[in-house]
Amino acid sequence: MIMNIDRKILVMTVVAALLAFAAPAAAFEGEKELYEAAKKEKAFTWYTAHYDSESAAAICNGFEKKYPGITCNYIRTTAQVAYQRLAQDQKAGIAGASVISSTDQGHYGRMKQDGWLMKYRPKSLSELIDAFKSFNDPDDTFFATAAGLVLITYNTMVVSEAEAPRKWTDLLDPRWKGKLSIGHPGFSGYVGTWVVQMRKLYGWDYFKKMELNKPRIGRSINDTVTMLNAKESWVASGPSGTTLQSRDKGNPLAVVYPEDGAVLMVSPSGILKNAPAPNAARLFMEYLFSKECNEIVVKYRGDSINKHVRPLPGAKPLTEVKTIRPTYEEILKGIPEVKEQFRDTFGI
Amino acid sequence: MAPRDASAVTEVVRTGSLAARPVGYRQRWRHVDKSVFLWLFLIGVLLVLVINPLARLFWVSLQHVDTGALTLENYVTAYGRWRYLEALVNSLVLGLSVAVVCTLFGVPMAWAVSRTDMPGKGLVWAAILGTFIVPSYLGAVAWILLAGPNAGWLNRAYMWLTGAAAGPFNIYSMTGLVLIVAAYSFPYMFVFTRSALDMISSEMEDAASTLGAGILRTTLRVTLPLTLPAILAAIIVVFLEAIALFGAPALIALPGRFQVITTMLWQFFEFPPKVQVAAAYSMPLLAITVGLFWLQRRLTGRKGYVAMTGKGGERRPVRLGKWRWVMLGYCLFVTSLSFFLPMVVVLQAAFAKAWGRGFSLDNLTLHNVRFVLVDQPLTKAATLHTFVYGATAAAIALALALCIAYIVQRRLVPFGNALSFLAMAPFVIPGIVLAIGFYAAYTQPPLLLYGTAWILILAFATRFLPIAYANSDAAIRGINPELEDAVRILGGGRLMAIRRVVMPLLKRALAGAFILVFIPATRELSAAIFLYTTGTQVLSVLLFDKSDEGNFEILASIGLILVVITVALVMLGFRLVGRDFMLRRTSA
Repeated sequence: MIMNIDRKILVMTVVAALLAFAAPAAAFEGEKELYEAAKKEKAFTWYTAHYDSESAAAICNGFEKKYPGITCNYIRTTAQVAYQRLAQDQKAGIAGASVISSTDQGHYGRMKQDGWLMKYRPKSLSELIDAFKSFNDPDDTFFATAAGLVLITYNTMVVSEAEAPRKWTDLLDPRWKGKLSIGHPGFSGYVGTWVVQMRKLYGWDYFKKMELNKPRIGRSINDTVTMLNAKESWVASGPSGTTLQSRDKGNPLAVVYPEDGAVLMVSPSGILKNAPAPNAARLFMEYLFSKECNEIVVKYRGDSINKHVRPLPGAKPLTEVKTIRPTYEEILKGIPEVKEQFRDTFGI
Repeated sequence: MAPRDASAVTEVVRTGSLAARPVGYRQRWRHVDKSVFLWLFLIGVLLVLVINPLARLFWVSLQHVDTGALTLENYVTAYGRWRYLEALVNSLVLGLSVAVVCTLFGVPMAWAVSRTDMPGKGLVWAAILGTFIVPSYLGAVAWILLAGPNAGWLNRAYMWLTGAAAGPFNIYSMTGLVLIVAAYSFPYMFVFTRSALDMISSEMEDAASTLGAGILRTTLRVTLPLTLPAILAAIIVVFLEAIALFGAPALIALPGRFQVITTMLWQFFEFPPKVQVAAAYSMPLLAITVGLFWLQRRLTGRKGYVAMTGKGGERRPVRLGKWRWVMLGYCLFVTSLSFFLPMVVVLQAAFAKAWGRGFSLDNLTLHNVRFVLVDQPLTKAATLHTFVYGATAAAIALALALCIAYIVQRRLVPFGNALSFLAMAPFVIPGIVLAIGFYAAYTQPPLLLYGTAWILILAFATRFLPIAYANSDAAIRGINPELEDAVRILGGGRLMAIRRVVMPLLKRALAGAFILVFIPATRELSAAIFLYTTGTQVLSVLLFDKSDEGNFEILASIGLILVVITVALVMLGFRLVGRDFMLRRTSA
C-alpha cells in the first residue's frame, strides 16, 4: 500500500520533471525585463518568519542561482520580531526590507491599513494551489506564499501506530494524562490558529477537558518536537514540517492526519512600498510561486504552495489532505479572545 | 598628559617650591587636574549609552498607545490585573532564591580555590568557566532531559535503582527554575568573591589565629566579612540577571504553569505590540535596582573594607587536611549540576544522527558539527562576529566602568551615586526593551548606527556595563586611597596614580571582569535579535533560531562550538595576562 503511494509519487515527480523540461524558457510573462531591472538594484532584503533559517538560506541561494547578479539577503526571525523591526524601520523612515513574510495574518491587515504595502499582482499566480487563492488580498498587496499543517504527532518508541490518536478529540483520552504536549497561542501563530479552530469545532469545553490531561505547554509549536524526542511527552499537537524534518534524521516521530481535519496555516508575503529594491522584490515574489522555489521548500519539509510540486515520501500533498481552517475574520477576532481564554483555563 | 605632569614633578623638585614661580595663566592651567576632562567625557558617554535610551523608555511609558498623548493608562494596564502582579511576585521569589543558592554555591567554591590547598583547582575553574559559557537556555533544554518528570535520565536512574514508580525530580517547577538559573549565574558570585579573596593577605588571618581563632572562625569572622562588598555586588548582579532572563523561564516556567516578569512582558509585544505598556511594566525593575543600591550602601557604607595597602601582603593557602577532599567533592557536585551533566546531554545530541534515539554506536555522526563548521557559511561569519563584538564590547564596558567606579569611590564629582545607579541600571532593562531603546535612539542622524556592527557592540557594552561596574567597584573599594595619595604627594597627577599604581594592582581583577563581560556578550540574545542585520549575524541568534525550530542536534552542535572556542580563547587570554593568573596557588 505504502509502496504503491511511493511509486505513484515517483511517477508523478518524473512526469512533473519532464514537463518542466518541456516548458518554455520564460517562467512568466515579462520575466526578462523584470530581471534586467532587478539586476540594476543588485541586492534586496527579505524579512521572513516563514521558514527555519536553513530553508530560508536555501531559498535565497536558489534565487541567486536562477537570477545571477542579484543578492538575496534574508533576516529570519519570528513573526513578532519581524513585525517589530519593520515597524521601527517605518517609524524611523528607514527603507530596509523589500519583501516581508510574516506568519501572523493580523500583521497584513494592519500593514495594508498603514499604507506600508505595495500593489503588485504576480504573473505566476496561476501556479498557486487553487484553494489558497482565497487567502490573497483582493487589492493585490499580499499573497499566500507558504503553507503548513498542525496535526497530531507522536513518539513511535512509546506509542504504536494502532494506539496513536486518530482525531483531535482522542487527545482528551485520559491515557494521555501528563503525556500530551502543546504550544502556547500567546507565542505561536500556528497554535493560535489551531486553538481558534478547535474552539470552532468543539467549543471551549475542548480545552477545559484537555486541562484534565495536564498538557505540557511550550512556547512555539516546534517545542512539541523537542518534548516528543525527549519522550517527556508521547503525543502532541504539532507542526508537519519540523516534525517530519526531525523524523528524516531518524528521530522516532510520526504524524497523523486527523480524521476531523488537519489545521491549515497559510502565510502571505508582501512587497513594501518603500522597498529599496522594488524590482528585485517583484521578481522574488514571482520566484516564491515557482517550481524551483517550492521544490526547495519540500526538500526542507515545508509544504508546497505550487500545485505541481509533490512532497517527499512520508507527507501528503496539501491537495490530498482533509484540511480545516478558520476564516480570516475568525482568526483576526478569535486569536486575542482565545489567548485570554487559554490563560484563564491553563493559568499561564 | 602624564609626561607633562612628570616634568612638572622634576621642575618642582628643582626649584624647591611652587610659590617661588610667577603665577600666570599657563601656571594655573598646569594646576588644573586634567583628568576632569576625562570625567566629563565619560559622563557624555553615559549619556549616549544609558540616559538617552532610558529616558526614551520612560517617555514611552507615559505615551498613549495609539495617540501618543501623555497618559498614565499604560501603568493601569500593566498593573491592573492580578495575573500581572503575580508574575512580578514570582520574579522576586526567583531573584531572591537564586541569590541565596548562588551564594551557597559560589562563596565556598571561591574560598576553596582562592585560599585553600584543595586539589583539582584547575578542573574546578575550567568547569566554572564552561558553566558560564553555556547559554542558560541550552542548559535548560539539557536539564529537561535530565530531570523531566516523565523521562528525565535522573528520574529513570532513580526508578531503576529503587524500583519506585516515579522519580523525585520535576524540573518544571519554581525549584527547578531556581536551580537552573542559579547553576548558570553562580559563576558571577564565584569570580567576584574570588577576586576579593585574592587580595586579602594572610596577615589579617594570622592576626585572628594569633588571638586563638580556628580556621573556621577566622574564615567566617575575618576573611569572608572582608569580601562582603564583593558578595553584595554579586548578589545584586545575580538577582538582576535572574529577573531579567527570558530563555530559561520560557522553557521551564511555562510548562511548569507559572509566569515571571519576562514571560509576561512578552505579552505586551504580541500583535499589536504595546511597547508603551511594556515600558511601564519594566519601570519597577528600575525601582528595585535603586532599592538594592540603597541597601548595599546601608550595609557597607560605614565600614572599611580596604584590604590592599602599601604594605606587601603574603598569601598562604589554608591547610584543610582531609577536609580538602570534602571541599573538592562539593565543588564537583555543583559543577556537575551546572556543567558536566548538561554537557553529557549536549555532547550526545551534537554527535547524534537523531538524538531522540538515545545512545548507540550507529546513531553517532559528525554530520551536525561538520554542517555547522563547514557547510554553513553563516556559522563561520557569525562565530567571528560573536567574538570580535564580544571582546570590543567588553573592553569598552570595562574602561567605562572602571572610570566611573573610580570617580564614585574617590568622590571626585558631587553626584557620584547617580552615576553608579546609571551604570547599574541597564541590567534590569530586559534586553528586548533596551534594544528597542537603542533602535529608537540610533537609527537616525546624528548617530546613525543601525546596520553597523557598532550598534551591537554598544548595546552589548551597555547591557553588561553593570557587571563590569559591580566588579570594578568592588575591586577599587579594596584599594587604600593612601597609595594614590602617595603619588600625588610626590607630585604625580591623578592619571599617573591610576596608570602606575591603581592599574597594576587591579590587573588581575580587571582580567576577571573582562571575562565576565566578554562571555555574556558572546551569548547575548535579546538585544542582538533586534539589532543584527544581514552582515552582522551572531551565534546567539543562530542558536535561538534553532531552539525555536525544534532542531536540537544543530542547537547542541553550535552550543558545543561556542563553548570550545570560548574556553580556548579565555585560556589563551590567561596565558597572555600571566601564567599564574587564575591558577596561582600562593604568593602574590
